[in-house]
Amino acid sequence: MKRLFALGALAVLAAASIVLAQTSGQGTLRTPAGDRPFTYVQQSGQTYVSANEVVAALGGTIAPDSNGYKVTVNNIVAAFGPDTRYGVVRDDLIEMPVPPITIEGAPYVPWQFFQGLLAKTSSLDVMWDAATHVMSVRPQQAGVVGVQASVANVQGITKVVLTLTGPAEYGILKEQSAYVVRFKSPIQPPFAEEAVEDLLVAKLAFAGNDLRIQLTAPDVVADAYRLDNPPRIVLDFRKATAPIPGQLPTLPGVKPQELPGIRTIVIDPGHGGKEVGAVGPDGLLEKDITLALSRKLAASLASKTGARIVLTRDDDTLVSLDQRTALANQYKADLFLSVHMNSAVGKVAKGSETYFLSLEASDELARKAAETENASAVADPSSDLKLILWDLAQQAYLDESSRFAQAIQEEMNAATGVANRGVKQAPFKVLVGATMPAALVEVGFISNPEEETKLKSDEFQNLMVDALTRAVQRYKTDYETRIGLTQPAPVPAPATATAAPATGTVP
Amino acid sequence: MAIIAVALIATCKKKNTVAANINAANKVAVRPVKFFYESPQQLVLVSETRNIALPESPASAIPVVIRDLMKEPASKDMLRLFPADTVVRGAYLLPGGTVIVDLGGTTLTQGWGTGSHHELMAAYSLVQTVTANFADARRVRFIVNGSPAETLAGHLSLGKSLSPMPQLVDPRFR
Repeated sequence: MKRLFALGALAVLAAASIVLAQTSGQGTLRTPAGDRPFTYVQQSGQTYVSANEVVAALGGTIAPDSNGYKVTVNNIVAAFGPDTRYGVVRDDLIEMPVPPITIEGAPYVPWQFFQGLLAKTSSLDVMWDAATHVMSVRPQQAGVVGVQASVANVQGITKVVLTLTGPAEYGILKEQSAYVVRFKSPIQPPFAEEAVEDLLVAKLAFAGNDLRIQLTAPDVVADAYRLDNPPRIVLDFRKATAPIPGQLPTLPGVKPQELPGIRTIVIDPGHGGKEVGAVGPDGLLEKDITLALSRKLAASLASKTGARIVLTRDDDTLVSLDQRTALANQYKADLFLSVHMNSAVGKVAKGSETYFLSLEASDELARKAAETENASAVADPSSDLKLILWDLAQQAYLDESSRFAQAIQEEMNAATGVANRGVKQAPFKVLVGATMPAALVEVGFISNPEEETKLKSDEFQNLMVDALTRAVQRYKTDYETRIGLTQPAPVPAPATATAAPATGTVP
Repeated sequence: MAIIAVALIATCKKKNTVAANINAANKVAVRPVKFFYESPQQLVLVSETRNIALPESPASAIPVVIRDLMKEPASKDMLRLFPADTVVRGAYLLPGGTVIVDLGGTTLTQGWGTGSHHELMAAYSLVQTVTANFADARRVRFIVNGSPAETLAGHLSLGKSLSPMPQLVDPRFR
């Protein structure tokens, strides 16, 4: 028995020693400036590199503090700590497979820390070759186009949007129950294969330079077109009596309008599908009311503004937050309104409020600009510059979004007499990335039993639809007058203002 | 066997993590901590102070404080904002002042169905609590179940760190 125990203990220790076994050696950091040696350690299947040595080889500095280490490379500061596999650079996370370790007082990070750091601050790629122990830092492979794929069903049409990191040549082939997008240059796919919960598209599968879009039935056809900034390929799938072979024409009705003024308005019914949103005390689901109200609003706006109205969803389906704004951008919408019902932990909260996007303060943008200007040889600032331009583009819409939100809040307050909670700013995901004036309206508190009852009623819904329609009309007239599209006309003021509208960020 | 044991001990010695100062991390003292919750009448954040036992180092104390924030407030005039089943999987203070907070639990994992006000106030109750009690903590970056998440409940973007938003706090408690 004793012998058996000893053998068991030996086996456990041997196993543990394998798990904890640590090998170390000298690696080579290969940069365009030349080779530099550094120490690496392999442990439990991970490769850690000496942070001190690699940072020095990159021309940076590293400093310990009580919470971890601060790394500065090309005037860009990053940090990592002892117990988390996330580092930070600026406001971005650097993901590592495991947390860093220290060996004899010196920090060692998984090599992926440097991969994340340089990928987020330059267009440099870091690769580790386990066979040769070479960590190479080089410009991201030219000619390889990154592809992101997303799927959304909009008014019965399934949209597959492929967002590319750069321009790419491609062809589209029709097969029995699939479409194949064949790229003429190498691509970096986001995944190998992904099933889709959709009536028309069953699966997306990448293989080599091909994306195969598997259909649910042979009578599903697609129309395809390109969009720019960023480059995108859009395929609209619909049912048809006969399949359309080969390269596909653009649908005239879907071609984005580019006339000045408010021509296209996207209405976004919040939540949907398995994301029910807030739930009222009597079981009313936010996703149902947002859809009902948005449908009515779409009909009202179509008849009263003459604009093209697009709903981000027209049934009980889940549409991702990114897809909602992507859709508005894709349609080159001139206005975006996300419709929601509010909820609070207390039951007495009531009233409506309207949000538009809050961005980082302008000094944050200035800081990023300064960092970019200071970036030197190793870092390529182009990705940063794009970030700044993107932020500034969004900033340009904030004034308009503020005016739009103000019009909404005033009209709702005047028409319904619900408590006015004012216009506010918040970093709401669905508003991030909208390249047009955009607002999110919280019509009422579904968590309040009285407001839940109101929200269910046609009468209250119609009041809200009328108020929102007037708000859009007011904003449209105001905007088109300001850009000289229409002559100034008397703008109808809210008929029965019940309280002075509040503005600001205080709830 | 003796050789393996020696090798194992040597390996373990080398594998020290960067726990900056184990003594500071373990030295515990009872200290007053300000916790932010919602006032159900005014719909703003208000705070109460509770005395809790905390490790001396902020990096070790922050997770303790966040776990305590998930409990019901002592005051009946305040309401807890996070779902009752929220699990604080970890909280890490990094140099520069970013606190990475890793949350989990059934509700946040399966989809928290609530409105934007509730979500906003919950997130900022944590941001305010952490930044009000720890000078080194300046902003909070949320992750869920160990991975970056879009939102907690479908509205508030978690793509960037959240800095304190004093306008969400009753002026008497700022």
